[in-house]
Amino acid sequence: MSKKVSRRQFLTYTLGGTAGFLGMGMLFPMIRFAADPMLKKGGKGAFVNTNLTEGQINETPQAVDFRVAVKDGWYVPEGGEPRTAWVMKSEGKILALSPVCKHLGCTVGWDSNPQFKGEFFCPCHFGRYFKNGTNVPGTPPTKPLDQYETKIEAGHLWIGPIKKA
Amino acid sequence: MAHNQDGNQKQVHYVGDSRVRVNSKEMLPPDYSQFPGKTEQFFPDFLLKEWMVAAVFLVGFMTLVMAESPPLGDIADPTNTGFLPVPDWYFLFLYQLLKYKWAAGPFISIGIIVVPGLLFGGLMLAPFLDTSKERRPLKRPATTWIAILSLLGVIGLTWAAEAEHVIQVSSSSGTPAKDKKIVAEQDKGYELYKKNACIKCHGDKLQGVQGPPLLGVGDRTKGEDEKLTRKDIEHIIDNGRGAMPAGMFQGSEADKQVLLNWLMQQKQK
Amino acid sequence: MLRAVYKWVDERLDVTPIWRDVADHEVPEHVNPAHHFSAFIYCFGGLTFFVVMIQILSGMFLAMYYVPDIINAHASVKYLQTEVAMGTIVRGMHHWGASVAIVMLFLHTLRVFFTGSYKNPREFNWIVGVLIFFMMLGLGFTGYLLPWDNKAYFATKVGIQIAESVPFIGSYLATFLQGGDMVGATTIPRFYALHVFFLPAGLLGLLATHFILIRRQGISGPL
Repeated sequence: MSKKVSRRQFLTYTLGGTAGFLGMGMLFPMIRFAADPMLKKGGKGAFVNTNLTEGQINETPQAVDFRVAVKDGWYVPEGGEPRTAWVMKSEGKILALSPVCKHLGCTVGWDSNPQFKGEFFCPCHFGRYFKNGTNVPGTPPTKPLDQYETKIEAGHLWIGPIKKA
Repeated sequence: MAHNQDGNQKQVHYVGDSRVRVNSKEMLPPDYSQFPGKTEQFFPDFLLKEWMVAAVFLVGFMTLVMAESPPLGDIADPTNTGFLPVPDWYFLFLYQLLKYKWAAGPFISIGIIVVPGLLFGGLMLAPFLDTSKERRPLKRPATTWIAILSLLGVIGLTWAAEAEHVIQVSSSSGTPAKDKKIVAEQDKGYELYKKNACIKCHGDKLQGVQGPPLLGVGDRTKGEDEKLTRKDIEHIIDNGRGAMPAGMFQGSEADKQVLLNWLMQQKQK
Repeated sequence: MLRAVYKWVDERLDVTPIWRDVADHEVPEHVNPAHHFSAFIYCFGGLTFFVVMIQILSGMFLAMYYVPDIINAHASVKYLQTEVAMGTIVRGMHHWGASVAIVMLFLHTLRVFFTGSYKNPREFNWIVGVLIFFMMLGLGFTGYLLPWDNKAYFATKVGIQIAESVPFIGSYLATFLQGGDMVGATTIPRFYALHVFFLPAGLLGLLATHFILIRRQGISGPL
């Protein structure tokens, strides 16, 4: 084996290098383009008024619809994106739970299964949560339901972004 | 020409100055009688038979297409907390697998990596796992049994998922769509609805309280696309369903018909 | 007249060997349903290809009306299905064809498996076939979202959550598929692009490989 690069080898390497350059030159911007959402940082949500008065909140969880201003790519829905929270009073404090099941993201319902009274129930894989959002051990979810930040302003309930654990 | 410098080889003729060779002799199909059995030429002999099968298949397929119109539900509403999600049928087995405790929660990687990995990895690598020369299924029982058991597993999971989904649909309460309204509140049917216990569970505006909402019940569908008929509703009133007990309607038969009329009027544009 | 035209073209381009190469190959008796009815199990592969052709054609025509955007997607599907002549049929062909394609592909896989046709020397073609299966499942998953009805939305959400629970790369995978933080405006065109450009391109490449390998190696012998 001679260390000298033969003419044929030189041509092959050059060809390979050029092919790599041509390929990457074309594909790099495209791959970066497609992967952009993965590399972008999400914005922080603000508080929104739910128009629910403090007196209307009781021990029983109720589904409260509210709208948050979102920017979903190019799409900025008029009046914001609808969201739902299960709002209740628990030990004197207001609790607003996200209805998104921590297992696979289906939507949980309150008291929706006659077998499991007084629990949040996820119809997809039978995930269950106690009233305060804690996951029932032995059911698919491994984490409690997300909680929204809440505040009372001028007698109305305001819901903010999801609390960081 | 450069191609024929030797001169002592057979002369090759080209069409003009192109690289296409002048083809003097007719191309004849090979003689298939040399092959064993009743071997045929692909074109046109065998292709015709294949197209016959395709024609029969197409008739069956178009019959299916014309008999069943493709389902299209309401526009996606991310806030709909009552909707029961279900994937397309060929993903049901995976969906069902993730319901089991040993494949969910802390063991999610079993449900999501290990089991499907074994299944699809095994399928992909079958030629390297089963390297014997034997091709007949009965003569290689281990491979055949593994395949049959996996097959039964997938079918069983699919079936279980479908069965559970059907039960779920029939007893789900669901939340009403926001654009639906009660119809004909002045009707005598509404009086009957109020007088009987209906209103306690289904709400004064049919919005649903403990029970499911009845808004738009007059043009609802059950399952995929079949219409919920007056008879179906009557059946539910008489026999109950899910958490609803039988015999909730206490009035006369004539009153029940009035109530049914009113319920069937609950249609949304 | 036609013969003369053909002769004129053939004289210049010598096209006969091209099509004769496709036409002239032997089909053994044991796969011919005309000789043995039980040989119909060898038809599933061809029928899968037929359904794929139906899918490609009907998909091309559906794209004439379909709009892949969050505001108009559902309305455009509703319009093409209810107001365009034969809309129910064309969408029906694409919708039911997807299921039928999976069924046919599945039956074809079973036939190849239980006749042991994947064995030496056809290992590579089996792998290509399994990749085709994955492509078809991918096409099914991406196509399911496009009508943007509740079923589509929630099924896709569950599917993406499943992808998200893959250890380590899950959240990147989910964001990549969603094209953002949620299933919404950026997800539909992304799935559309995958469904009509990327995956079909991959599928056609794999199908071509599959067929070339069959021609190279011939149909596996009788059991």
